[in-house]
Amino acid sequence: MTEIYAILVFLFVLFLLLGSSVWVGLALMGVAWVGMEMFTNRPAGDAMITTIWTGASSWTLTALPLFIWMGEILFRTRLSQDLFRGLAPWMRFLPGGLLHTNIAGCTIFAAVSGSSAATLNMVGKMSIPELRSRGYPEHMIIGTLAGAATLGLMIPPSLTLIVYGVTINESITKLFMAGVFPGLVLAGLFMSYIIFWHFFTKGERPEPEPSMPFGKMMAESLFLLPVMGLVFVVIGSMYLGYATATEAAAVGVVGALVLSAGQRSRFGFCRYWINVFRICNRDRSGCCGSCWGTSIISRTTITHMGNIF
Amino acid sequence: MRDWQPFLGLYLWVWLFLFPGAFAFYCLFYRNSARRILLPIWRILDRVYQISGVIAAGFLVMILVLIVGQMTTRWSNVVFPGGTELAGYMMACTSFFALAYTLNHGAHIRVSVFLNMNAFLRFWLDAFAMLIAAIIATYFARYAVKTNFMSEILNDRTQGLDKVPEWLLTFVTMFGTWPWDWSELWAQSGSEMVFTPIWLPQIAMSIGTVLLAIAVWDNLFRLLINQKTSIKSETVE
Repeated sequence: MTEIYAILVFLFVLFLLLGSSVWVGLALMGVAWVGMEMFTNRPAGDAMITTIWTGASSWTLTALPLFIWMGEILFRTRLSQDLFRGLAPWMRFLPGGLLHTNIAGCTIFAAVSGSSAATLNMVGKMSIPELRSRGYPEHMIIGTLAGAATLGLMIPPSLTLIVYGVTINESITKLFMAGVFPGLVLAGLFMSYIIFWHFFTKGERPEPEPSMPFGKMMAESLFLLPVMGLVFVVIGSMYLGYATATEAAAVGVVGALVLSAGQRSRFGFCRYWINVFRICNRDRSGCCGSCWGTSIISRTTITHMGNIF
Repeated sequence: MRDWQPFLGLYLWVWLFLFPGAFAFYCLFYRNSARRILLPIWRILDRVYQISGVIAAGFLVMILVLIVGQMTTRWSNVVFPGGTELAGYMMACTSFFALAYTLNHGAHIRVSVFLNMNAFLRFWLDAFAMLIAAIIATYFARYAVKTNFMSEILNDRTQGLDKVPEWLLTFVTMFGTWPWDWSELWAQSGSEMVFTPIWLPQIAMSIGTVLLAIAVWDNLFRLLINQKTSIKSETVE
């Protein structure tokens, strides 16, 4: 009975704080505090700070800012144009046409970026205007993009899996490995949905793409090389056991820096860096805040509740 | 109530919660005079938030350098003791220093469904949420500072193999003592490496959380005075 009571109190306070738009990290801390005060007799503040310090200064969590940083650098390169150019020649023959670039683009970019929002921004930046101008129906453009962008948190590196791994004390690399196959299955399902759509709604099909000589196709797909190289370096180094998740993230940042140095012509160097840091800091702290909050709740409160019941 | 012992004759919670809360009401009812009091403070605070953001960015780069360094030393069979712990400290430094700065740039996630419903809720619910957040953040900051002092008193050392030079410790301790004691302090300090005391990286936690608490209170005051939120979230360009 007490467990149910405790869970009800937790849920009530959580929804009250979140609903009144308190920042998620601080709201979770508030819930943890209520839990500690009501259901344990440990000094709440000291226990919470100890947990926060342990969580904040952990080596595993360092992968988080680095992967965000990497995504931010890539977002400021010409990667999304290159991705679309490289994928388009190969997707035009499939039933459903260039809509498949959304899925394939998201799958590839998910393998270098850790969050769904970043994947969505990155792929949509190029594919939405291109697909619109070719006359694809709006609901399919947005739908396939939004669906496939969720692969960002499934396919490694995934920020959510890092936070989850730190919270439950599980190996990040193992979690990452577990994410690949379901991610690819999901991508396959999305693609088969587009194929079904193509055959069942004949009226919505845009005109087929003009044909392209094979040599040109190969030349266009060369644009995929940098991003595929990055995917290989980041995921390959983890899979082949050369690097841990954190080190793979560092390798990814260095790779992204090299990649953007190759194309940096569009940015003033200083402004570019300032932007990268700003955004990177911005996204990260939100993540960390909620990460500490959840780890406090899960570790401190729940375990000590367990001792009492 | 051992944690909230009197300070200058008043309980600590009076200083930390009641006074800022009372000032929030002052901001609500006497907007113009509150603005006149706060304007010079805002000018300093904006600079402080920015500097803490820059420091956070610096630590982020140091994480990268450290991890790359650690990988290369491992491949070349050189031992780099305590690298993981050092990277962890940098991680803590970069996150805590970035807290206040990111708050002002709308980076902390919040559920804004009810906030965007109408103008009434946008103001009052935001003010309520900021008050709750400010109380939680102040509580958090108070215990962060307490923990930092406790680690110093207990002389808590790292569990890893990371070492820092003793002059660095002396240099930081210097700012906690009077200038006329400095010569004695430096005379006592040696030049060898010692295992990192936990209080050293925890200073980042103290500073960062205190800044966060100040930033949340500050945002509440600004909201009440200007009648609109000063948190500008940038859309991804």
